[in-house]
Amino acid sequence: MLSVEDIKKSLKALNAEYAKMKTLAKEERKAFGIQLNEQRQKLQQELQAAEEAAASRKVKPIDVTAPSAPNKKIPEIKQGSKHPLMTELNRVLDIYSHMGFNIIEARQLDDEFHMFEALNFPDGHPARDGYDTFRTEEGFIPPAHTSTMQHRALVRYRDDLEKGGQIAVVIPGRVFRNEDVDATHEHTFYQCEGIFVSEDATMGQMLGVLKNLFEVYYGQDLRIKTQPGYFPFTEPSVELLIEKPKSLGGKGDGWLEMLGCGMIHPNVLKIAGIDSEKYKGFAWGGGIDRLAMLKYGLNDVRYFESGKLEFLKEF
Amino acid sequence: MKISLNEIKKYVDIKIPTDELIKLIGSRLVEVEGTDDWSKKYKNIYIVKVISCEKIEGTHLTLCKIDAGESTKFFSRASVPHEAQEQAPPAPAGGRAAGSQKDFVGSHEGTVQVVCGAPNVHEGMLTVWIAPGAIVPTTYGTDEPFEISERKLRGYDSAGMLSGADELGFSDEHKTIVEIDPEMIGADGKKVTPGASFADVFGLNDIILDIENKSLTHRPDTFGLIGFAREVAGILGQKFTEPEIFATAGASVAGSGKTSSKTSEGIALDANISDPEICPRYSCAIVDFTDTPHSEYLTLDDIFLVKADMRPISPIVDATNILMLKTGQPLHAFDYDKFVKVGGTKQSKIIVRTAKPGEKLELLDGKNIECDENDILITSNDVPVALAGAMGGKNTEIDGHTKRIILESATFSLYHLRKTQMKHGIFSEAITRFTKGQPSGLTMPVLEATIKTLGEEPLLIEDCYPAKPEQPTVPVTLGDINSLLGTSYDLDTVVRTLENVGLEVDTDEVASTGEEAANISSSSVRASLGAQQARPVKTGASAAGSARDIAASSSEHDFIRISVKPPFWRTDIHIKEDVIEEVGRLLGYDNIPLDYAKRPFIGAHEDALLVLKSRLRDICSDRLAANELLTYSFVSRKLQENVGENPEDSYKIVNSISPELQCFRQSLTPSLLEKVYMNLKAGYSDFSLYEINQVTKKSFGLNSENVPTMYTHLSFVTLGDFYQAKAYLKALFKDLNLPLDLASFPENNYPYLEPVRSAVITGKHEISTSSGSAKLSSLADRVDTPVKTVVDTPVAQGSANFVLPETIGAIGEVKSQVLKRLKIDKPVAVFELDLDILLENLPKTNIKSLKFSRFPSVSRDITVRVKSEITFKDIQQALEKALAENCGVYAVKPVSVYQAISKTKNLSFNLTFADLDHTLSADEISAIMKKVTDSVVKQFAAEII
Repeated sequence: MLSVEDIKKSLKALNAEYAKMKTLAKEERKAFGIQLNEQRQKLQQELQAAEEAAASRKVKPIDVTAPSAPNKKIPEIKQGSKHPLMTELNRVLDIYSHMGFNIIEARQLDDEFHMFEALNFPDGHPARDGYDTFRTEEGFIPPAHTSTMQHRALVRYRDDLEKGGQIAVVIPGRVFRNEDVDATHEHTFYQCEGIFVSEDATMGQMLGVLKNLFEVYYGQDLRIKTQPGYFPFTEPSVELLIEKPKSLGGKGDGWLEMLGCGMIHPNVLKIAGIDSEKYKGFAWGGGIDRLAMLKYGLNDVRYFESGKLEFLKEF
Repeated sequence: MKISLNEIKKYVDIKIPTDELIKLIGSRLVEVEGTDDWSKKYKNIYIVKVISCEKIEGTHLTLCKIDAGESTKFFSRASVPHEAQEQAPPAPAGGRAAGSQKDFVGSHEGTVQVVCGAPNVHEGMLTVWIAPGAIVPTTYGTDEPFEISERKLRGYDSAGMLSGADELGFSDEHKTIVEIDPEMIGADGKKVTPGASFADVFGLNDIILDIENKSLTHRPDTFGLIGFAREVAGILGQKFTEPEIFATAGASVAGSGKTSSKTSEGIALDANISDPEICPRYSCAIVDFTDTPHSEYLTLDDIFLVKADMRPISPIVDATNILMLKTGQPLHAFDYDKFVKVGGTKQSKIIVRTAKPGEKLELLDGKNIECDENDILITSNDVPVALAGAMGGKNTEIDGHTKRIILESATFSLYHLRKTQMKHGIFSEAITRFTKGQPSGLTMPVLEATIKTLGEEPLLIEDCYPAKPEQPTVPVTLGDINSLLGTSYDLDTVVRTLENVGLEVDTDEVASTGEEAANISSSSVRASLGAQQARPVKTGASAAGSARDIAASSSEHDFIRISVKPPFWRTDIHIKEDVIEEVGRLLGYDNIPLDYAKRPFIGAHEDALLVLKSRLRDICSDRLAANELLTYSFVSRKLQENVGENPEDSYKIVNSISPELQCFRQSLTPSLLEKVYMNLKAGYSDFSLYEINQVTKKSFGLNSENVPTMYTHLSFVTLGDFYQAKAYLKALFKDLNLPLDLASFPENNYPYLEPVRSAVITGKHEISTSSGSAKLSSLADRVDTPVKTVVDTPVAQGSANFVLPETIGAIGEVKSQVLKRLKIDKPVAVFELDLDILLENLPKTNIKSLKFSRFPSVSRDITVRVKSEITFKDIQQALEKALAENCGVYAVKPVSVYQAISKTKNLSFNLTFADLDHTLSADEISAIMKKVTDSVVKQFAAEII
């Protein structure tokens, strides 16, 4: 290719040719002009190409692996993050919402009645010991399970039953247990409770619904199994286990304990003013921290309430 | 709780493989946390006879020759790798799988030479030999298994090791080697001989189950081996054969009075219960028995105790423990002579009563306790000798001089004992069982069996049994069972299942006509509905059909009444659901066909607060680039004092884990400030943190449910000054389509904010009577009813318009002294919002009424010099007003605030404006600018510069 300078010289020479126009006969002028114009156009195109080629030769290559150009400030993008427990809780609540469950949030300071009595724990019953509850000077209890809201939910929606409807509620909340903190135990954690009451609820329905819940959550078919449990507020009571999902590295052999569940004890329905002969229900509750720990492969539950940016920025 | 499978097999014929059995126990009885296979643990350990002993000069060691019988033939040298033994076929022949046939070092003519350091080694004794290559049982399965070898000790060859009970895992003391009774008949039914497998003789080829018994809280019967075995039979579908102790126990009859007494050969036994509520039954006996230290021989009973994680102690203690482990009924023994002496009586007089406040007792473990009126005491003529159900008293302790004992077998109120347990921190095997509510039916038979075990006859036996509890009869129908479980079990299956575990079942047909049939028909229809629906989820497609069809197809058995009478040891069966649980569990919940809940298509309600929270999290994290965190709901008193909150206004946890977690928090910001410090220290220098959570304090009062009123707050902290936080808040409010109104800062709930550099965020939401009522009822409707006192009144009175007086929150800079106390060395600004109030202030529509002109807009900068006290907002509003009056669209953007002298400041704005109809001419623009500048000049005595 010709250099820019050469092309410019040619252009100059060509421009000089135009002076000859005057010397030509009128008939010849037109053809001569067209010819010159064509030549000039061509040269101008060549000039542009040559100039662009010259300019691009001047662009300096960069190190694409470096965070910035030499001597420049490293560009920064400010990014926020959402707490993994809240994200996981919202995901679970979304699934429940799609299944048609209403949501009521649990309160963080409650009383003996909602913690125990409304749930058919006899006064002084050893089953109360299992909950390691905190207490305030006034005798209020930071709830040890989200079941504290069961009675309220039953009372709030019991009119729906009379109108031929059902009660379908989930209750997320923060719960508290007086236990020593280590990698797998926190005194503060999150649970999500569910209750369903209808005229024909069965244990088979309960197991089917919960299986479906985890299948939606993990996006795959899952086997379930149970272990007998004991909760004063359900009868029968079981612990539900699911096959370890593929997304958590399951290969079809391991089992994960996911939640406690059972058919709502008739006394719990009665205390809430619901006819326990006419209506049956099931209830369940499980931890959110565990879901998040499994999902993100966290080995220490204490990260959650640590407030460390080092942790938070990962989500 | 540890359960030996071999022991269970003594009561139940188990035909299925062990792993299947363990799975079944897990799915139908209780969680099995782990299994310990002892058959591997005691491999290559033998019973041997010590032929000769020779002291090694200058040491405590003895050079022994032992007769290891046939075992040395089965077992080769130490060079046999342990793994090879593991893989070998079952013992005893298997030990030979690898290795040479060479004799052990120092062995000679069928004897093996072992150096032993134990003082009790002697000629002729039978003891336990851990052969070379075997693993010391206590180290088996640990990270560092200890393999016994052949080696030289003080120059003498020594093959293997003579074992102490501690190395075998049977004792915590390291003193002597095990001695075995030469007359002993082993668990295998054979008389013990040298060379016999230790595991065979002592029944150690066993699997020990580790049971998570939390879910058995309501099942005291399963805290005994027999009760556990009964359940195993039940889940295997076998009828359990009751051992004599249970078969006869039900027959015992309650005494007529509260007390009774007997005398014999000049001694008397007088037992009194002050209140049958605290002690339903007190059985006791006087037995002549001299307790000796534990026998020098290792016995099968020792192994029984060890398998249950207990230790052999002495004949009396062991006998009571063994009976307790088998039946669940704890016992206690008093020294008779001490008992009588303490009471100051000639004869034994037992009174069971509650303690007087402050009454003192020294317990067996030496601890002195002070009782309250909840504690139950056993007294000798009113002098305390035991804390009932928990622990005996030092004053009646059995010792080497004891010649006569009082043996107690009783039941106590579990509610009282539970409080006693918590108060005095006693967690013995006995109280663990008592607090589950042991049945009173067992006390006598267990007492009698214990005395028999001791090989004695009672001098006197006494049974104080004021009232025998009546077991309920629970009626249930097959329809009830199948409709709750969603199954279609037939009558025979149900009846057999219940009878297998000792429940008495009567069936009786209810007439299919008449009132009674009408009463149950509805539940029967439901029952058959349940049965109809009970098909696998994946395949269940066809419709259930009309109720009429279903009623017609339902089993006639649905109408049969099943009357269930639980045996005396079942304290957990009261209502039909308890029976249904029994059926569902024993037949396997995993056999219930899965179904879906039948649901109408009704959308779920959205909870407005939850929606708002979710929106705020989106805004804060995604748009404001802040990091969401969660902090504890409890804070320290110190933190509250540091930020100026009043700790007395906080609900305080009385049993908090640490002082750091004592006070329920009144606001979120203090918790976040702690995290600001931590993250600054960790090297982060530019961040914003936020949390959404609940707060409360005493001064919020109680709500209509008489529980503390709680509010949900959002706290947002950022490094920087007021204006930094304001920029975030403004963006947040813009996203919520809400105007941001700030007012000067009154004394309020945020004591950590600098008053002159903070503001309250005011809500303007005015509620008219009608809509107000609606809104408030929706507020009150929320399950957490955060009805503020100020809001309550107008509703009650039905009065006219009112304004929610609360502010939405506050924004400001944290006081420098607060920052200093929290060791934060950078300025921090925050805003904290009350989301319940924010929710009430949210605009009900999202209409933005945006207007843009098609014509070019004009941009002009203007700087206004005003007196310092004039606010930025005053000028901005005036400019906006003037523009609004003169052009179609406009915007006023702040550019800068400049202040060189204290009297005046220069405020710069960028004005953009346009007309909606045409392009503004130069003249028009000048006219508009004149009007705009005039407006501020006149109103605020401003100067345009």
